[in-house]
Amino acid sequence: MVDWGIPIGAGIAFGLGALGTGIAQSKIGSAGAGTIAEKPEAFGLMVVLVAIPETMVILGFVVAAMMMIMLV
Amino acid sequence: MVVRVEFDYANARIKGMKSRLLTPPVFETLILKPDVESIIAELENTPYKEEIEKATVQFSGIKCIEVALRKDFTNAFRKILRFMEGDPAEKHIKILLSRWDIQNIKTILRGKNIHLTSAEIVECLVPAGQLDDTTLIELIKQPDVKAVIDLLATWGIEYAKPLTRNFKEYSEKRDLSVLEYAIDKFYFENALDKLSEKSYDDRILLDMITMEIDVTNIKNVLTMIRDRIDIEEAEIFLITGGQRLNIERLITMIRTGTLEGAIKFLDTTPYNFLSELPAHVFRTEKISVIEKELEKYLIKRGISRFLGDPLSIAVAVGYVWAKYNEITNIRIIARCKTADITEKEIREELIYV
Repeated sequence: MVDWGIPIGAGIAFGLGALGTGIAQSKIGSAGAGTIAEKPEAFGLMVVLVAIPETMVILGFVVAAMMMIMLV
Repeated sequence: MVVRVEFDYANARIKGMKSRLLTPPVFETLILKPDVESIIAELENTPYKEEIEKATVQFSGIKCIEVALRKDFTNAFRKILRFMEGDPAEKHIKILLSRWDIQNIKTILRGKNIHLTSAEIVECLVPAGQLDDTTLIELIKQPDVKAVIDLLATWGIEYAKPLTRNFKEYSEKRDLSVLEYAIDKFYFENALDKLSEKSYDDRILLDMITMEIDVTNIKNVLTMIRDRIDIEEAEIFLITGGQRLNIERLITMIRTGTLEGAIKFLDTTPYNFLSELPAHVFRTEKISVIEKELEKYLIKRGISRFLGDPLSIAVAVGYVWAKYNEITNIRIIARCKTADITEKEIREELIYV
């Protein structure tokens, strides 16, 4: 009998992280676009700010990978 | 259904625009300039550069500053309207900006009433609302008050309604305040109709509009006391829907018959700062001083909205008032310089927020 619990858990860890990142990046992205339209010199800072939520999905990926490698 | 408005993009842009507003040290530099020409030169080092450069081609002196400021003011609001086009928040911006439509129509009617030249009327206009330059210039070209109202009606502009309805009374009394009151009332009623207590953003705007109603009513009450208007007649000139002052309270204020007595009734309201004015203001019935204090209060409250929820219409409301304040301050400095008023007096006239 295949144990689906671990792959599903890994999927949730990765999927919810990705969802959170998507929501955060859409908000920061549109605000960033507005800021760059008015202040083009803020482009560098905006790239960094848009990238910050990526940490969530990376963390989700690491947790998912650890589950799949260490528990399966 | 309540529609959630996405303010991320729009508010980021508005905040960017706010960061370009002049700071108190820049105003101080402008105050210290010896004449209007050097103020123009200084403004070329500010975000007004482009409009000042364009205006200097055709005009000089105070006229150049006035034209540049007017154009910049209009451009700022047109820009906000452009990037909010199609968004539910467009309604809020249009309500905010229709304040200037009303002001422009009143200016044209006043100008026509006292037979000013077109050039003199144009100087006082701020085409920041929905009525653009071309529309306003066509209105100014009309020979008299009736023709202005007729043209507004022909174009199907909504502001024609209250003016047409009250034109008969105006022509009988030859009193422009009849038309001015009618259009003010129309603006406030229209704004209150379009806004609902259920929506979060509507409530932010309602708070500002109802405060404006209070301020307009206080100004009307004080003017009516000074001009000894009958209580029955006075009642007609009051606008319902104020935030802190209802019609009964306003009538009680009129009944006192003195400015000082009326102001005492404001002690328990946010407008109690008026009672701190020097006694000679009330003795000499200098309404303009009281009106200025009320205007300052309105501007300060308007700009303070900027500190509200960053993902709401509050940011746009704060910006509109901050921009209006900036333009007013530059105009005061320029006008005072032409009238050779001392720097100390100019500082007292300015509204720093």
